[in-house]
Amino acid sequence: MANPVTPAKATRQTTVRKPARRIRGWDNRMAFFTLIPSLILLGVFVYGFIAWSGYVSLTNWNSLIPTLTWAGLRNYATIFSSFRFQSDLRNLVVFTVLFIAGDLVIGMILALLVDQKIRAEGLFRSIFIYPMAISMVVTGVIWSWILNPTTGINLFFHALGFTHVPEWFLSSRFAPSVHLGQIDIGIPVGLLAVVIAAVWQMSGFAMAVYLGGLRSVPEELKEAARIDGAGPWRTFWSVILPQLKGTTATIVVIQAAASLKVFGLIYAMTGSGQDFSTDMPNLNMFQTTFQGDAFAQGAAIAIVLLLLMAAFTVPYVLSMLRGER
Amino acid sequence: MAGVRLSHVTRRFGNVVAVDDVNLEINDREFLVLLGPSGCGKTTTLRMIAGLEELSEGNIYIGDHDVSQLPPKDRDIAMVFQNYALYPHMTVYENMAFGLKLHKTPKDEIDKRVKEAAEILGLAPFLKRRPKELSGGQRQRVALGRAIVREPKVFLMDEPLSNLDAKLRTQTRVELKRLHQRLGATIVYVTHDQTEAMTMGTRIVVMKDGVVQQVDTPEGIYRRPVNQFVATFVGTPPMNLISATLTSEQGRFVAQVAGQKVALPEFLTPGLKSMTAEAMTLGIRPENIQLLAESDVPAGHLPVAGVVRVIEPLGHEQMVYCQVGDNTVVVRMDNTWRGQVDDNVVLAMESDALNAFDPVTERSLLTHETPMLA
Repeated sequence: MANPVTPAKATRQTTVRKPARRIRGWDNRMAFFTLIPSLILLGVFVYGFIAWSGYVSLTNWNSLIPTLTWAGLRNYATIFSSFRFQSDLRNLVVFTVLFIAGDLVIGMILALLVDQKIRAEGLFRSIFIYPMAISMVVTGVIWSWILNPTTGINLFFHALGFTHVPEWFLSSRFAPSVHLGQIDIGIPVGLLAVVIAAVWQMSGFAMAVYLGGLRSVPEELKEAARIDGAGPWRTFWSVILPQLKGTTATIVVIQAAASLKVFGLIYAMTGSGQDFSTDMPNLNMFQTTFQGDAFAQGAAIAIVLLLLMAAFTVPYVLSMLRGER
Repeated sequence: MAGVRLSHVTRRFGNVVAVDDVNLEINDREFLVLLGPSGCGKTTTLRMIAGLEELSEGNIYIGDHDVSQLPPKDRDIAMVFQNYALYPHMTVYENMAFGLKLHKTPKDEIDKRVKEAAEILGLAPFLKRRPKELSGGQRQRVALGRAIVREPKVFLMDEPLSNLDAKLRTQTRVELKRLHQRLGATIVYVTHDQTEAMTMGTRIVVMKDGVVQQVDTPEGIYRRPVNQFVATFVGTPPMNLISATLTSEQGRFVAQVAGQKVALPEFLTPGLKSMTAEAMTLGIRPENIQLLAESDVPAGHLPVAGVVRVIEPLGHEQMVYCQVGDNTVVVRMDNTWRGQVDDNVVLAMESDALNAFDPVTERSLLTHETPMLA
């Protein structure tokens, strides 16, 4: 059914096809009518409000009084020049890269372990996926206990005799410390604790997707590699992993989107941190808008996030559509 | 190149015996075909030779080496899979070179071998393409090429032609045969297609339920099947099996077929002597019977009367289904034969082509000394 319209048009004159055409036309109209309510709701509450945010971001509405006078790109200039938003962008890059890397590696390892034809595979699968069902805020609270520098896992390190224990999310250090303009573009050490919590929560998802990918690699391909003389590691690296490119892309895009949206975890675990070392654009947006009443600036942050999100998802969706065709 | 020997090879999956005590001697440079219906254990046998399947019992030797416990890569074999199993992300060149690279073959040697194989298989223009940009036939050649460049002791092929369309299959069959002659390779080839087996094999192994039924040349399998299974599995239409009653008249064996006496040829006598019961089964191929007038039956033919029930024209020939007592007997006649349904006919069976089976054990009653039909 690559192109159902053309053949129907071509046979418009024949009497035999007419009833079929009428039914198809009716089906199409019916489908359209049933879609109208959700199209309207989507149009108003998603795209309408995106447009509204875009408009607000170009106004002077930066107090409780809605001043909708034209401000041009002034709000964007303000946020991009602010220490906080620059820190946010650095944190966002660091968090996204580390989170996705950790997620892919841990997810792949778990998937490989589960794929060993083990007993109670379903049980292990559920255990690994389960953290996903927990709210981000709960994860944040749990891990802030585990990684609390004076209690939690550090007690274990103390017991083993370590004196220099990590400060986890309370650390305000940068490694390495490299200044660029007003901010430090090193890795904020405090953020690593958040990455650990996020990876713990989301690597089950990567495992599930990778497991599906691994299972779709034909057995014969692995056998061909064995006969060609490849050991297990070489087979994985040269034969299996290249088949999982699409799977990896799916995980990267979905997790990048999740990382752009991260809020609850930061809010519950670290907050903005000293010198915004663990701040995130979402937290910034929330506080700017609802605590600072700078609605236009908050909207500007939202639009920047939207564009970043689009930069990840649009190429992916386009390539998917192309693949389907 | 080398021969392969299977000694008491058995493979069990739980309680199921997939391959049961197989003993085989595959000669150097032989094209041996494992033939049988689905689930007969032929693929499992091949996979055990490859090292992809463990042996439950027995030993496999390639050349003089016992390879039973060796991993596939140390057996010096190459395999062609049914679905080709080409690496989708590699080009044709890389697909062929992968195994050589893993064996640390020098680069220029790899290049030389890949290009040679590509030349033999007509793949030279496609070396930079990926498998999905190739047709089914071309993919099949790449799979062959991947095996050839390895210069293995034994080629193992698992139904390599079954994913090709009928025309291409016929063409590739001929090419494979030529390739076998050119490379002087030892090939073990699995198929369920008897045409492939008959046309390509130097010898055929017919298997059923994990047990080897017969190992013989294509002609031997066709002319002198060891049992009723082989007789009916090989040949289209299969060998006719006619129930008869065995009697003896003046020291000669006579079969009663639907009340008619058929004096059995001398060469059946030694086998028939071992029969204790009266019931027996005669076997004869459709092309070894002619429909004639009674007066025309030539010497060396045994006449039986029957009635034509169905005529199936096939263009170049026709299949005539006749009723002889309770038996349906198929006769292959050329186009010049003119007959009608319900005609009374005489079926003249070539006595040299006659087979006989014990209906209880279904085994052939022919002995080893029985001459092959000229």
